[in-house]
Amino acid sequence: MIVIIDYGMGNLFSIQSALHYLGAQSSISSDPQVIRNADKLILPGVGSFYKAMSNLKTAHLDEVVKEPVINKKTPILGICLGMQLLGSSSTEDGFSYGLGLIDSPVERFCENEFVNLKIPHVGFDTVTITKKNKLFDGLDSNADFYFTHSYRMAFADQPYAVGTCLHGERFIAAFEKEHICGTQFHPEKSQTTGLLLLKNFIEKF
Amino acid sequence: MAKKRLIFTLLYNDGGFVLSRNFRLQRVGNIEWLLKNYDFSKIAFSIDELIILDVTRGQRNVNRFCDHIKLISQGCFIPIAAGGGITSEDHAKAIMSSGADKLVVNTTLFRTPSFVKELISIYGSQCIIASIDVKQQNDQTDVFIDNGSVTLDMKFEDFIQHIIDLGVGELYLNSMDRDGTGHGYLFDPLGQLKSTMKVPIIIAGGAGNWHHLLEGLQHDMVDAAATANLFNFIGQGFPNARRELIKNGINLARWEPLNFSSLNNCLC
Repeated sequence: MIVIIDYGMGNLFSIQSALHYLGAQSSISSDPQVIRNADKLILPGVGSFYKAMSNLKTAHLDEVVKEPVINKKTPILGICLGMQLLGSSSTEDGFSYGLGLIDSPVERFCENEFVNLKIPHVGFDTVTITKKNKLFDGLDSNADFYFTHSYRMAFADQPYAVGTCLHGERFIAAFEKEHICGTQFHPEKSQTTGLLLLKNFIEKF
Repeated sequence: MAKKRLIFTLLYNDGGFVLSRNFRLQRVGNIEWLLKNYDFSKIAFSIDELIILDVTRGQRNVNRFCDHIKLISQGCFIPIAAGGGITSEDHAKAIMSSGADKLVVNTTLFRTPSFVKELISIYGSQCIIASIDVKQQNDQTDVFIDNGSVTLDMKFEDFIQHIIDLGVGELYLNSMDRDGTGHGYLFDPLGQLKSTMKVPIIIAGGAGNWHHLLEGLQHDMVDAAATANLFNFIGQGFPNARRELIKNGINLARWEPLNFSSLNNCLC
């Protein structure tokens, strides 16, 4: 069973309907027992990092989520804010630590007086696949996905960054570190391209 | 840099879908009519985003509106924004739990800015679209609230600054003069905004054919062009429009060209 982690934030319905369309069984849950026994985890998220972390902590879900990922190597996919939460920290709404499953910090896009950069970064944008990986298997090396965010993981040269996107700078659009994956974009809102990526996560991890 | 976007706006009024002309509403059909004429799992390949606005003039039935969002969003894997009269966290939550990814606010930007701030602190800036209804009067742009019935006693530029300071994620700039006329967009209000504005702009009001969408998307300050015309894009309307826009050099998203239904239940 794929478990979509419910911590009070995120477009859970959208993610579940994409999985349902693909024919995959999933449940939305905040029950520690259900999360521990999941075959795969999806950490969604729409909202501010600070609030998300405090929600996770209040429900003690931060440790509950990390435990099967670290001990049982349960595959996890973080989407948008969910991807950022897997990182080390964020400066959104003040500094807060993330789940730390990968060591990338999250910061706001750099504002630059010379480039008129729109923030938030909204809409479909091209993700360049930078190395062979499972998540993007079978997809074009430049594929369009839907983004909506003001914060990002910089340092697109990290070894686990598998897809990057250009918005004033190159940032990490997707990472894959063994069974720990994240996408800054929303695959559940990116048409066939996004559905194929979700299918890869379900089939290949 | 994100690609430009083509947006279809659905106007929902008390259980049905309507055409709006200069903010006068004309009922077109119910959800069955809509789904019969627009197969969203198919036309979603020709548009980048869907906006569903509850423009009901009297008492709104939130649950019923949310049921409609659920029906429309089924099999439609593009972003959906929804709103209309959102005044409580529960109302916002109900919309976000029905398949919407973003919230649209309008009158509350002026009436209760603290509530908009609250929504931003819960869902983040990127989730909140500020819809602004404007009308040109005596060579200036006036802002209207309450479904276009009340003029704001505040300068357009000042109001825009006010909502940017609140921290909204996008602006949906709707011309009441052009609304439903099919005469093309009115760009005058954009001329009064700073060209360095960071918040993405969606232009709305007046698009009757793909030439108008093209004019909108060719404008430097415009990130997305919206149409709420329920008749002009029926059938092959959106696929044709998108093809023409791409042919004319607009940088729009492209998706895996495989048959969508081949993914349906592929994991069973």
